Formats: sequence, C-alpha cells, structure tokens
Amino acid sequence: MKRLLGFLLVMVMLLLFVSLPASAEVTEIQFWTWRPEDAGFYDEIISQFEHANPDIKITQNPIKNTEYNTILSAALAGDSAPDVFMSRAYGGLQTFADSGYMLALDDLIPELMQFDEAKKMGARSITDGKMYGVPAVSQTMLCFYNTKVYAELGLNVPQTWQDFIANLEATKAAGYDALANGTKEGWCCEFLFGGGCSSLHGGVDFYNKVISGETTFLDPVFVNAVNEMLTLAPYMPVMYEGVAYTDMQASFINEMSAHFIGGSYEAGYFQAQNPDLDFDIFAVPGYTEADPAYVAVYADMNFSIAATSKNQEAAIKFVKFLATPEFGNQVVADLAMVSSVPGVDVSANPFIAKVLELQKNSTPYIFLVGFRYNQPTGSSLFQAAAQGLMTNTLTAEEVCKQVQEGIATYYEPFQK
Amino acid sequence: MRTKKRLKKAGWIAFFVTPALGVVFAFILLPLFMSLFNSLFSWNQLIRSDYTGFRNFERLFFTYPYQERFFNALGNNVKWFVLTMIVQNGAGLLFGYVLSKGIAGSSIYRRIFFIPVLFSIAAVGFLWGLYLRPNGMVNALLQLTGLGEYASAWLGNASTATYSIIIVNIWRWVGFPSLVFLTAINSVPSECTEAAYLDGSSEWQMFRHIVFPLIIPSVTIITILTVIGSLNVFEQVYTMAGLDGAPNYATDTIGTLFYRTAFGSVDSGAPEIGIGSAVAVVIYVMTFGISLFSIMVTRSREVEM
Amino acid sequence: MNTMRFRYASLEKKAFIIFIQIIMIGYVVLILYPLFNMIMSSFKSTRDIMRFPFSLPKAFDFSNYVSAWVDKGFSGYFLNSLYYTLVSMAFVVLFGSMAAFGVSRYIFKGNTLLYMLFLSGIMLPLKAAVIPLFQIIKGFGIMDSPLSVIFIFIAMGIPSTVFILSGFMKTIPAALEQAARIDGASELRIYSQIVMPICMPSVALVVIYNAVPIWNEFFFPLVFLQKDRLKTLPVGLSSFIGQHSTNWALLFTGLSIAIVPMLLMYLFMSKYFIKGMTAGAVK
Repeated sequence: MKRLLGFLLVMVMLLLFVSLPASAEVTEIQFWTWRPEDAGFYDEIISQFEHANPDIKITQNPIKNTEYNTILSAALAGDSAPDVFMSRAYGGLQTFADSGYMLALDDLIPELMQFDEAKKMGARSITDGKMYGVPAVSQTMLCFYNTKVYAELGLNVPQTWQDFIANLEATKAAGYDALANGTKEGWCCEFLFGGGCSSLHGGVDFYNKVISGETTFLDPVFVNAVNEMLTLAPYMPVMYEGVAYTDMQASFINEMSAHFIGGSYEAGYFQAQNPDLDFDIFAVPGYTEADPAYVAVYADMNFSIAATSKNQEAAIKFVKFLATPEFGNQVVADLAMVSSVPGVDVSANPFIAKVLELQKNSTPYIFLVGFRYNQPTGSSLFQAAAQGLMTNTLTAEEVCKQVQEGIATYYEPFQK
Repeated sequence: MRTKKRLKKAGWIAFFVTPALGVVFAFILLPLFMSLFNSLFSWNQLIRSDYTGFRNFERLFFTYPYQERFFNALGNNVKWFVLTMIVQNGAGLLFGYVLSKGIAGSSIYRRIFFIPVLFSIAAVGFLWGLYLRPNGMVNALLQLTGLGEYASAWLGNASTATYSIIIVNIWRWVGFPSLVFLTAINSVPSECTEAAYLDGSSEWQMFRHIVFPLIIPSVTIITILTVIGSLNVFEQVYTMAGLDGAPNYATDTIGTLFYRTAFGSVDSGAPEIGIGSAVAVVIYVMTFGISLFSIMVTRSREVEM
Repeated sequence: MNTMRFRYASLEKKAFIIFIQIIMIGYVVLILYPLFNMIMSSFKSTRDIMRFPFSLPKAFDFSNYVSAWVDKGFSGYFLNSLYYTLVSMAFVVLFGSMAAFGVSRYIFKGNTLLYMLFLSGIMLPLKAAVIPLFQIIKGFGIMDSPLSVIFIFIAMGIPSTVFILSGFMKTIPAALEQAARIDGASELRIYSQIVMPICMPSVALVVIYNAVPIWNEFFFPLVFLQKDRLKTLPVGLSSFIGQHSTNWALLFTGLSIAIVPMLLMYLFMSKYFIKGMTAGAVK
C-alpha cells in the first residue's frame, strides 16, 4: 500500500512539473478577498488591469468572510500566501503586520501620500507607524429611513434626539416596525449603538478623551448614551432579541419597517433587492440642535501585499491600480461604497454624495477603531454586554463597567 | 512453532491495521499534536515565540476573562451531553426497538428518519433560524394552539438559546442512534426473544432482560460518540448563534471558545493562538479520559456471545 | 417476530402503540416540511424568500437551477464532489473495515491503545490543526490537487468507521471464525468472506455516517483547492453567502441540488436495515 501511495505521490509531482509555466513572460499573481458578493466586480477590475498589463495574469479567489482570516493565516504560515490580499483594518491589520506577513508600502506606493490621514489609520500599524495596505473604503454608521413612509406621514428628518423618538413613535403608530434593528448578533448591537447613539456622548470629543485616558467608559455621559439604547427598544420589532441581521435587512427591504440603523454598505443590497424602495439617510441627532449630529466612521478593507510574494513587482503594479481614482470611481458606481481614494468623483452617485456630506461630522466607530488591538477587545466586551442590556439582564452601568474593566487589563491610559 | 504462529498473527494485524493507521496518523494525529504543542509557547500575534511551560493553561484556568469564559462554556457542554444522552439516545433506543418490532409504517419511518442528517449544517441553520425567529413558524403554531404566551425569541433569549440549538441538533441526529439500535436489535438471535415470549414475559421484561444486555456494545458506541460530540460541539452553535456564542455567551461552548481564541472572530476580536491551543488540549484530554472511562465501564458489562 | 401488531395487543399496549405512532408521525412531518420548504424556496427569488419564506412559489420556474448549474459552474462542482466523495469513501470503508477487523477480532497487547489511537482522530475538530495540516499537505506536494482533500477525507472517515465497525464485529460469535480457520481459510478470507458479509448493515451505517459530512464538508476544500475547476459543491455554495448580502435563491437551489445524491444513497442503503439480513447470516 505504501508503495502505491508513493507511486501516486510521484505521479502527482510529475504532473505538477509538466504543468509548470509554458509561457515564462506572463507573471501570474493570486488575489484573495472576503467579498464573494463582489466577485463579479473584481473580475471586471482585473480584466481592465490585465488589458493594460498583458504581462500580468491575476487569479481572484473570493473566500467566505467568516473563514477568511483562518484560511489566510494558514496560507501565510504555510508559505503559500496570495500575492495580493484584502486585509482587515485597525486591530485586524495589526495581527498580520506584527507577524511580519505583509510588506510595508510607504515607499513602494507613493500614491498613499495623497490619501486622507484619517482614512489611512486603518492600514497603519500602531507598532511601527508604517502603512501595510492601501485603504479601499470607509463605512459609515447612520440611520436609513423609508422616504415614502416619511412623506405619507408628513415627517421631517429629525433635528434632535427628541424629534427622532417622535418620528419613531409616529411610524410605530402608523403600523410599521419603527426600527428594523434586532440584537440577536452581537455586532448588530455595536452598530445600533454606533449609528444610533454617537451624538449622545459627544462623538469625536469623547473619543479623543477616552483614547488619551482623560476620561473612561464610566463617564456618566457615556453611560447615559448606552442607556439610551433602551429608549430605542420599544420601537424595535417584537422580541427584537431574536431578530437576526438578515431579518432586519428583509424587514427594511420589504418596507415593513421605517428606519434601519446600520452601515452605509447596505445601500447596494437594498437597491438591488427592491428597486422600488425609496430610502434616504440621516445622522441620528443629539439632544439639542446645537449638538453636532455624528455618524460613526471606520476604514474597511485594505489591499496588502504578502511579504513572501515572489512576484512583488506585479503585485505592486496591481495594488497601485487599486489606489487610482479610476478604481475608486468604480467602487462608488458599482459597489455603492465610499472609496478612500482621493479625488474620486461622487456626483454620479447621490447616495454616496450624501454619505460624504454626513461624514463632515464624523466620529470614529469607537470600539472597532480604537479598541480592537488587544484581547479582550472593546468590541467583544461591548457586544456581549450590550446583549445583556437589551435583554434586561445588565444595566447600562454594568455594561460600561464590564467594558472599562476588560479594556483596563491592557490599555495603559486606563491603568493610571 | 508458537513464535512462528505469533509472528504470523502480528503480521496479519499489521496488514489489517497499517493502511488506516498511516493515513490517520499523517493527516490527523500528526497535525493535531503539532498544534497542541503550540499551547506550551507564548505567541507574538501569529508568530510562535518563547517556550513558557504551562503558562497558557494557568491563564486559561485562573485569569480574567478566560476563566469565566471557559467554565461558562464547559457548563453548556454539560447541558449538551445530558440532554443528548437522555432525549436523543433515549428516543433513539425507543425508535430502534419499535422499528425492529415492525410497528405499522416502520419501513417508511426507516427510510425517513435519517433524512435530517443528510442536510448540510448550513441548510439546518438557515431553515431552523427561520422557524425559530420571533415571527417564525414555531411561535405562529404556539399562537394558533392558544399557547401564545409561551412564544419567545428562542435563539435570542439567554435562557432558551442553548436548549433551542440542542433540540434542533436532536432533531437532526436522532435517526442515527435509532438506526444503530435497530441494527443491533436486528442481530439479536430470535431464539432468545421467542423463548422469553413463550414464557409469557412482558414486552418491557423482554427488552430489559434479554434485548438490552445483548446490545450493550452499540450502547457503548452511542455513548462514546455522544461524549465526543458533546465536548466537540462547534458547527451547530457557529451556524445558529455565531462564533461568540450569542447572546452574551449564553450558547458558548468550549468548541466555539477554542475557535474564537485560536483564529479570532471577524466581528469581535483577534486570535491568541497560545490560549486557543491550550483550550484544544483541554478538550482533547477530557474527551480522551471520559471516553476511556466509558469504554472500561461498558466493556465489563458486555455479554460474550 | 412481530409483537407490536395493534390488533392483537392488550389495551395497555394499544395505548403505547398509539403514543409512539403520534411521536413518529410528528417527527416525519418535522423532517419532510423543512425538506419541502428548502426545495420550494429554490423556485423563488431572493426577495420572495425574504418576504414570504413559507409560501409556495408563484410558478415552477427553473431559472435558478439553470443559473446555478450553468452560470455558476455547479455542474463541475457537482462532479468534483461526487468524485472526491466516492474515492475517499471507498478507501474509508476498505481501510476502516480492515482496521476494525484487526482491532476487534484479535486479542493482543496494545489492543485498547490502538483502539484509542484511532478514536483520538475524532476527539478534536480537525480544523484545530489547519496550520500544521497545511504544512503537511504542502510537504507532500499535493496543494491544490484533488489528492489533498481525498487524503483528508479518508483520514476523517476512518476513526469513526473503525470505532463503529469494531463494536459490531465484536458481537459476531467467535465460533464462526474458528470453524473457518479449521477448514483452512486464510485470515484475509475470514475478513472478506465471513466477517464482512455479516457486517453489511453496520457498513451501510458507517457509509452514510461518513459520506454525508464528507459530501457537505466545506472548510478543507476551501483551504486546499484554489483552482476553480477543482472546487466542490459546498465551496460553490459558500460563494452565495456574502459578508453583508446573501443570494438566498441560488443558495437554496444549490442546497436542493446537494441533497439529491445523499437522498439517493440513503434510500439505497436503507434496504440493509431490514430485519433478517443479519439474523439469517449468523445462523
């Protein structure tokens, strides 16, 4: 039997040798993403690139989002990494950057100089300050609303938190689920808070203070903002604690709910599934009109190059292409996402133009941006505790205490 | 002569066992032990650094937040084991017995009971997610039968989520013990039961004193597989509640805890390979110990034929 | 012997039979409905699935099937899955039953150790070992080759096969074997002509027990097969599940396609669970 196995192995080796490159001039590179839903889009991008660079051939491998990190880690550790791959932002980038798996791009891709500094944070290592990816898009947490429902009920975009609650009340009275959101998944709690309550704790000012350690998550302002999630609860679907992400999407798409607090990335799917759905967006406001109405923003998806790539030149060429306005324009037009490339024309897509307008008052999406670098991450602490809050097993104070104590185990500014 | 015979026997054993052992060793045992070994090292992100002895185990058992997470998860594994053992295997034994007795419709039941196993776990997760959601079929049925007050967010409530997932898993797997017991009972020589029947034994006496002792080997099989399955629960929780064991770790098991710490969770956190590997070692040692113990116990009760 | 015949049963037993029948019929409904639900969904659009998940399709429109089978390459994925599953199951049954025979029909030192060694193979999810496994597969030079997943599938199937089959083999009376030995039969002959035929029902059991997870396995093919022409059905299915959007219509279509071979295999195998096969063979 062993002999047979050996024989089989030899046969395979031979086959591999025979199938080695026949045409030596063409460089083949591998490109991995975690966006199977965008596979068609990247095929199109690749064919444009290959057309301009006939000596490079790119193979795309879209991998299911939830298994992506595992498979990428295995491939990197096994020295079989793709040449170019999509990398996560912030703490997710740090894991791979600190492991030495990615190429620092500061000198290789001069285009990065032009990028907006805030949008570059997601691709910058906090250990050595270098850039390990070209930022692709930014996501914005905000509130979608159904404009037909607003017109039918004569509602206006809310200017204060009280207005917002009044609008929720009015849409609820009219028989809609006022808010589509559910909290079955932890990350849906995180964006419910980020998109719904960021203006209540003072947005970016609070963020800067908490990052520097000037204040903590036990700050009454923050505790109050967390507590306001419970104010939203009566407007969420019955038994919202069992409502999953896909149920929320279905509810808003099928016009059963009037509002949806979530990420700007939903727009493409909403539109594709129900072309008759008329929706618009606003930033959930603060207590007074004078308070800035914040949207929570984070950088998402970078394009990185494997440190071990044997085709670095070709990989750099491709990543440079992904840093051009030409690519950025298509991201806006075809994916309905906010491209991070500077100089992208958004006038063609009014939705994206609107998102950019709201981004003028932006605050970092607090736990993802600032507290995902160590375990336990701010996200994991908040997500779990917020589910406790929403099912009335924890109070807002307890939520904040759990978050604060968890982060304080490693975060130096909190250890003073 | 004796040595030659023994050598010959050893040769035959080697002939029968080696191919299977070779493949299992190269593709399962070797990589598994390589990764268990990782628990003895400290890690700088994805890169292995210094040998630290049992430091990762110390952290897992005695420090925040691992200690709390670990024992919470282990508690859920115990729920999985107890419920699966009693409900699934109990029902399996009952089904297997009545099917072997040729109860009306048994040829149809036999062909249908295993179908849930044929579903991919993805399909099970999606479909039961639909049935168990707040406006899903289960609550609608409760409303219809006047039991509306018992309607619940089955997968969203900390008190019902784990049990809901366990029940779906029982729905999926009960056909397996049924078929195993059916196969075992079928191979009980009919002279044994006929004699007892003629003696006027009741159905229960017959089962208790004649059939059951003869099918102990299959009881061992099912028990051990349940031990292993309950300590390895992962896919079911992953597809129905996510990697973080939502809500608020109510459905977390040591399997999901392991995966989350070893590989990180996309929606919430980064990997810690050292701790993750330590969890894997604990799962392995516990499974091995409990399996060995059950084998020893049941072996002593097996009847030689 | 049929002692569960309703007509001749005592009153108590009648109540018991009715009770059991209600449970079993209830369970049958609980099984058939999701199957029906899944297949009906494959004729609907994603939006209709979201809106009316339990309704019947408006029409039996096969466009989802055409789209999955032709445009999304499921015809190729289907054949790949069939090929990997058949080849690996053949070796699982062959190697597994041989090892079970070796472990259960001989008494020798280290018997239990060997048994536990095999059992160790299912004591942890193999996912735990993906990084070293990656290096091993690369070392053998079978990355991105069907052999990578075939070897893994064989290894995944053997432990439970050895475990279950040796459990059943133990119950075969030793006298049968001794008689054959005295007649001069070789060990190989005893394995293939005497023990294996008696074990057919339990072989059928391990075949379905292992073929289903292998057929549905999504993780390892995703890791080890990158060329599109080598990919499997479950990997193809995963491409319909995006980060923020899922193509429910094609997903249900793919799931409906995927369950057909398993249903056929099971219906074929279920004939081995009929009373008499084993009893007759032992006599």
